[in-house]
Amino acid sequence: MRKIAIYGKGGIGKSTTTQNTVAALAEMGKKIMVVGCDPKADSTRLLLHGLAQKSVLDTLREEGEDVELDDIRREGYGNCLCVESGGPEPGVGCAGRGIITSINMLEQLGAYEESEELDYSFYDVLGDVVCGGFAMPIREGKAQEIYIVCSGEMMAMYAANNICKGIMKFAESGGVRLGGLICNSRNVDNEKEMIEEFAKQLGTQMIHFVPRDNDVQRAEIRKMTVIDWNSSCPQADEYRALAANIDANKLFVVPNPLQVEQLEELLMEFGLLEGVA
Amino acid sequence: MIASLPVSQHFTATRNACKLCTPLGACLAFSGIEGALPFLHGSQGCSTYIRRYMISHFREPMDIASSNFGEHTAIFGGGKNIRIGLANVIEGYNPTMIGIATTCLSETIGDDVKMFLHEFRKDHEGEALPHLVHVATPSYTGTHATGYHDAVRAIVDVLAKPGPTIKGLVNVIPGMLSPADLRWLKQVVADFGLDPILLPDYSDRLDGGTWSEYKKLPPGGTTIDQAARMGQAQATLEFGFTTKQSTSAGTLLEKKFGIPCHRLGVPIGVGDTDALFDKLQQISGRPIPESYTAKRERLVDSYIDAHKYVIGKRVVVFGEEDLVVGMTAMMGEVGLKPVLCSSGGKSGKMADCIHAAAPEIAEHCEIREGVDFEEIADHARELKPDLLVGNSKGYKLARELNVPLIRVGFPIHDRIGGARILHVGYDGAQARFDSIANSLLEIRQQDSDVGFTYF
Repeated sequence: MRKIAIYGKGGIGKSTTTQNTVAALAEMGKKIMVVGCDPKADSTRLLLHGLAQKSVLDTLREEGEDVELDDIRREGYGNCLCVESGGPEPGVGCAGRGIITSINMLEQLGAYEESEELDYSFYDVLGDVVCGGFAMPIREGKAQEIYIVCSGEMMAMYAANNICKGIMKFAESGGVRLGGLICNSRNVDNEKEMIEEFAKQLGTQMIHFVPRDNDVQRAEIRKMTVIDWNSSCPQADEYRALAANIDANKLFVVPNPLQVEQLEELLMEFGLLEGVA
Repeated sequence: MIASLPVSQHFTATRNACKLCTPLGACLAFSGIEGALPFLHGSQGCSTYIRRYMISHFREPMDIASSNFGEHTAIFGGGKNIRIGLANVIEGYNPTMIGIATTCLSETIGDDVKMFLHEFRKDHEGEALPHLVHVATPSYTGTHATGYHDAVRAIVDVLAKPGPTIKGLVNVIPGMLSPADLRWLKQVVADFGLDPILLPDYSDRLDGGTWSEYKKLPPGGTTIDQAARMGQAQATLEFGFTTKQSTSAGTLLEKKFGIPCHRLGVPIGVGDTDALFDKLQQISGRPIPESYTAKRERLVDSYIDAHKYVIGKRVVVFGEEDLVVGMTAMMGEVGLKPVLCSSGGKSGKMADCIHAAAPEIAEHCEIREGVDFEEIADHARELKPDLLVGNSKGYKLARELNVPLIRVGFPIHDRIGGARILHVGYDGAQARFDSIANSLLEIRQQDSDVGFTYF
């Protein structure tokens, strides 16, 4: 089983990209579990055609310790298994602790056992690695590969770089490695070239460039992944390509995060090219 | 290589801290209000640990409520628990005041206790609620002493009310002292014809008599009315120079109600006790009562009589910063030689305070803030003291060095009478000095082959 965690700046499209990629992998015949690590519990909405699910923490709160795997796991598109860790309302409690608790719970319940015959498990993690709880999926070898979703926007790259610092730290003590950057295009000037160069400087690769396409939005409104909604549209092929690249990926590295000056230089070099001209 | 270094140089963790939990100090302060109950917003263990510590020192029953954090509370926040907990406590105890101190866990998850209390008051609108006093006490900042002072300020902030000045009414903010000390302070201020309001005053609640039937809320303490009248006092006496002045209760009373705040050293030893009596003369316009002058003379006489037994004896002092400053000043007066003054507190002021109170000692003494007992032990082994002065937690070191431990401060777990140890005033200095001198004599006697019966 390959264990993958998806990180990236808030609002960059982690959940959308994850679910569309999972749909493509499912189409390839892979058995997948998706674990949403976001208190909003919206990481599996497209795979389940709506927020149909009770989160691990809600179940734990209401039913106590006596929880079974089927209480918290729902089957979604392409027989993928969907879990939402859930968490507190905004502004109260400790969402990080919630993630730790729910991942421990999944392990106790045997969600990762060989008998489950999973090819992949995906962790879709909220925003940045803000505290120890949000690092849970990459601690103690829980996820071995990380993909960072980013765009050519400065703050997204800044966040990606920061996440790399976290990965570097956990790579020393565990086996976690960076598998690549997924560029979720925002139609920034020279975006593809810039992210390719950024990836190179980090010591990794841009595993796929996902162009901006309103079909993603159209599918999302219908609570579906692109493949599920219209399997023949061009954007569906983009996600198939991303899924194939991940499936075939052999480049796993300990990233080499950039200094702020290096990052700004990169932005100047690529981001201002056309502006100057 | 590493093994040959002193522990403090290759060990980064705190081991056997020379300080206690911040909420412990807050619970002690809350215990000094009549009909009040401390309430910890956090896990059960916090309240159990603090209860255990206070019971073994004071040897009195000690109830501390808890909002009983569990895994769910840590994740979803403690709002629900605190509301249920407060309602239960009100029903079960009917307290006049609930002193709510936070703990490391509730602080770390960022529980907004002020908001919870606001919601609780809204839910119970129209009902007669006890006063709810809240203080933030994450134990990873500060010590039990800071928790104590912050709680005192929080109580004053909630309870003290404005009004016309009442002549002769004097607020006394004692600092972290024993019940015996509190009784002494009250008596002295009263003996000048003044009316003291001591806050907190746990002299009865944590050092009381026996009951035929268990009382959920022990009698005694500063009454809510007294605390309200603090806003009308003529003056405030606040003891201890190592607390942060800008956030002290005395400063708050000065800012809110314009009551002049007189900050004094904790009156341990002749010098600081004299300063207190001078101040009381000034406030009351009366001379020092004769009984105190006589005590002072007897104390000074005893210093002279026993001087030859104690002069130059090397002492390691540890504990709360204000106590260390006071004990050092007292010992300096009689020729004892503190060689290490140490505390787990980190006010940044202890060295200056010792320099001011006992300049001749400060010159030749190591002064260490923010240390644990491992570090104190490292220094002490080199300094080869003749005795230790501090709380029971120094016993292991005393045993290792085979020197007496003169027990002062908090906690005293291995002797009875922790609550009755008098530190302050001429009487306190007399008692502490006698016990130091006699301990030194006992060692001389024990170590001698001759078996002297006279010294």
